[in-house]
This record gives sequence, structure tokens and C-alpha cells, in this order.
Amino acid sequence: MIPVCPLASLPRGEALRLDVVDPPIAVFHTDEGDILAIDDTCTHQDASLADGWLEGCEIECPLHASRFNLRTGEVDAPPAKRPVRVHQVVVENDVIHVVPSDAPPNLPPGVTLKGQA
Amino acid sequence: MTTSTTSSVIPTLPGRFYTDPEIFALEQRNIFETMWFCAVRSSDLPKPGAFKTVQVGTESMLISRARDGSVRAFFNVCRHRGATLCTEESGEVKRAFQCAYHAWTYDLDGKLIAAPNLTKMADLDRVRYGLVKAHVREWLGYVWVCLADEPPPFERDVQGAVAERLGALDLIDNYDVAGLSVGRRIVYDVKANWKLIVENFMECYHCATIHPELTEVLPEFADGFAAQYFVGHGAEFGERIEGFTVDGSAGLSRIPGVTEDQDRRYYAITIKPQVFINLVPDHVILHRMFPLAVDRTVVECDWLYLPDVVAAGKDLDKSVELFHRVNEQDFDACERCQPAMSSRTYREGGVLVPSEHHIGAFHEWVQDRIG
Ligand code: FES
Ligand code: FES
Ligand SMILES: [Fe+2]
Repeated sequence: MIPVCPLASLPRGEALRLDVVDPPIAVFHTDEGDILAIDDTCTHQDASLADGWLEGCEIECPLHASRFNLRTGEVDAPPAKRPVRVHQVVVENDVIHVVPSDAPPNLPPGVTLKGQA
Repeated sequence: MTTSTTSSVIPTLPGRFYTDPEIFALEQRNIFETMWFCAVRSSDLPKPGAFKTVQVGTESMLISRARDGSVRAFFNVCRHRGATLCTEESGEVKRAFQCAYHAWTYDLDGKLIAAPNLTKMADLDRVRYGLVKAHVREWLGYVWVCLADEPPPFERDVQGAVAERLGALDLIDNYDVAGLSVGRRIVYDVKANWKLIVENFMECYHCATIHPELTEVLPEFADGFAAQYFVGHGAEFGERIEGFTVDGSAGLSRIPGVTEDQDRRYYAITIKPQVFINLVPDHVILHRMFPLAVDRTVVECDWLYLPDVVAAGKDLDKSVELFHRVNEQDFDACERCQPAMSSRTYREGGVLVPSEHHIGAFHEWVQDRIG
């Protein structure tokens, strides 16, 4: 379980990019008050979903507008075709934590894990 | 041509000032890209994300409304490899401007917010590589931009021109120009140098000849002295004239702040380098010039009325028609001059008669600016 930040420093509507893990994770606080985490990297091209547009429990990629469901990781429409992983979020003592998924990530072409060619 | 102090005529600019692309380039740089430039009507940017692109000197400018409701002006150039960011004349983005080439994406404040591989370039400052901003002021319900690093004082150059003409700046407040609505807009594509249009607007020596309808409404124009000749003077409507309309019939509802002194009068103001304002009791006519080439100027003319007049769908035709005819008559005259500017007989230019002598100050000003 990786600590992310105090609950108070991620207001509703905001996102945060956690890059101490590889690949990085995006954590969102939705307008409805849910805290949800997915892979930060879009599966179409190397774009940060934390920089995207949060609407309900969907994040729209800032580059080509594919939308990912924050609960399932599924993508609604091309150009991205593969889902992102979702990560479990635990709030303990008013601190947000994530439990990274151990499934293999769906990285876009050209993006590799650190230490891998 | 030689002049003496006793001559009743003084020289105009030489013909090449109206035909030489190099002089036009100097004017673009030292006048339009340096001074305050009236770019768009604020109401043409009704909500965040609404934008317009306009040509200011040699630059395309992207003018848009940000999230907080304020207006921003950006150079319409992608910071990556220079693609024109917005190619439409106007439009609306939902939340960001995205370059169509490699998808660099800028928020409504111009900050770079996304780009392919951006997180791999942590050293790339998102503000520094954001869109380049120009200075912005909103006044009279228009967005004025200045492309200079250090803009000249708006109070001196823009508001000062109004105060100088009317005698006091607050006299224009009576017309509440910002609070009026655009009742009609007509865009004229004039095949003439911008200075011919300014000079035309500054004098009324031509009025009795080419503006029969206007001279009917403002009989004193037949004396050839422009409303701009005397400080604070507004030309008075003729005796049997009911309103500022093509046939002198009654106009629309009078703007409430207009005083008795201002009623039944027409005031004309030139704000150098590209704005003309006409004030009459029931409306305001504002021209913005966009000089596009040495021999081509687009003029956007707005007829502004009280919001309830426009909302009620009142018939504006007779009101608009008067100055629309004046515009066509004037721009025809300018287009008639443009081809002759390159004639060998106009190499030294022409002359200004006494009622046009104040145009000489404009010529000195232009020469001064371009060095
Ligand atoms: S990078 Fe996300 S949709 Fe293209
Ligand atoms: S030129 Fe605009 S993104 Fe490359
Ligand atoms: Fe005229």
C-alpha cells in the first residue's frame, strides 16, 4: 500500500499523478466524492490522464478525447482501444493510499517500464 | 510641390505612402503592432472558450474568454513548431485549444497542459511554453489588444483621443456604449490603403458631393467642415429631421444618458490608428479597420442600440441604411483614389484645402511613427 497524499490536499474535481510507481498512477477525487485510481498513461499514446478532463467517474484523455471509466478502466471510444488498469484506493487516517494492481499494464507504443528496453 | 505660409493648400503624403509594401510593413510594425488595437466586440465572446481570430499588423491573434470570464489575447501560433493554432475566424472550444499538428494542448489561460510524451519532458515549463500573450483592455464593450512588450498608456492614446474630440472623456459615458447591443454588423472589404479611409473620415469637404442623405440630415455638413474640426462640436440635425435615419424619419429609443446638449447632434471621433466612432442620440456606430495589405482594408462596422430595442426586434433598416450608404459612398471614393496613388502625376501627392488641413497632422503623425 503506497501513501499518496492527505485527503485534504486532493479536493473534489482534482487529479494527481503518482510517479513513484512505474508506470505512474493517476488518482482522482470525483465531484461525487469518490476517490479512484487508474494508470496515468493513456493506452493510445503517451499522455497523462491526470491532465485530462474529469466528468462524473470518467476521465477524458487530454490529447484525443478517448474516455476511460475510473471504476472499470474501460475505454468508451477510439482512438484508445485497450483499457487502463484500476487500482484499489484505501483512505486511512485521512491519508489516501493506493494498492497497485499486479495485472500487466496496457502501455501505448513506445512506452516501456523503467529498467526494460 | 512648394508651399509657403500664405498658400491655402498644403501637401498630402506622396503617392508611394499608399502603394509601397515596405511602408506598409513599417506601419504594421510601428503602428498596428505597437499601439492599442480595437479587435473584437466583447459580446462576440459570450462565454468561456468562445474565440475569435483577428489580424493585427502581421500577426494573427487569438482572442478568447477564459474560465474566470476575463478576455485573453494570444498570438495564434503553436509553441511547438509554429502551426497556426486556430484557423477559424470564430468558434468555441469546450476547454482547451489543441494544435492540429502534434496535439499540443493549451488551456484557456494559454498554459500548455498536455502534449504527447509531455511527462517525459519534466523540464519543459508549461507556462514558458504556453501561448504567448498580448496585453488586453476592455472598454466601450470592445476588446483592445496591444502587441507591444510595453503598451503605451491606454488613457492617453485611446481615451485621450475621445476626450480631445468631445472636450471631456465622460461625455461618451452618457451613451453607455458597453451596455448597448449589436443591432447590425456590416463588413466591408475595401480595396484601398487604410490611410485613405482615415483621411476620408476626418474631413467633410466631400460630404455635400457624395453624401446626399447625410447632408440632408446634417445640413451644416454642406459647409465642408467636418464634425471633427472643432473640439466638442456635434453637427446638429436639420430642422425637419426627426432622427438619424436615411429619410430623416424618427429613430429608435434615445439612449437615456444622452443629455439635452447631445440630443439631435452627431459626434464623430477618430481613435488612431483604426477606430471611428459616431454618436447619435439613439445609437452608436463603431468602425474597426483591419489593414490587410497596402491596398486592402477590411472594415467591420457595428450599429449599437439599446438592448431592448434589439431584443424587441425593432425595425432598424432606416437607421442602419443612412450610415451604410455613407460607408459605401466613402469606401467607393477611397477605392477610386487607390489606383491613382501610383500615377506619376501623384508622385508628390496632392493637396489639402483649408477645411482639410487638420489631416496634415495625421500625416505628420504617420511619418513620425514609421521614422
Ligand atoms: S493519447 Fe489518449 S486518446 Fe490519444
Ligand atoms: S506544431 Fe503544434 S503541436 Fe506541433
Ligand atoms: Fe464621408
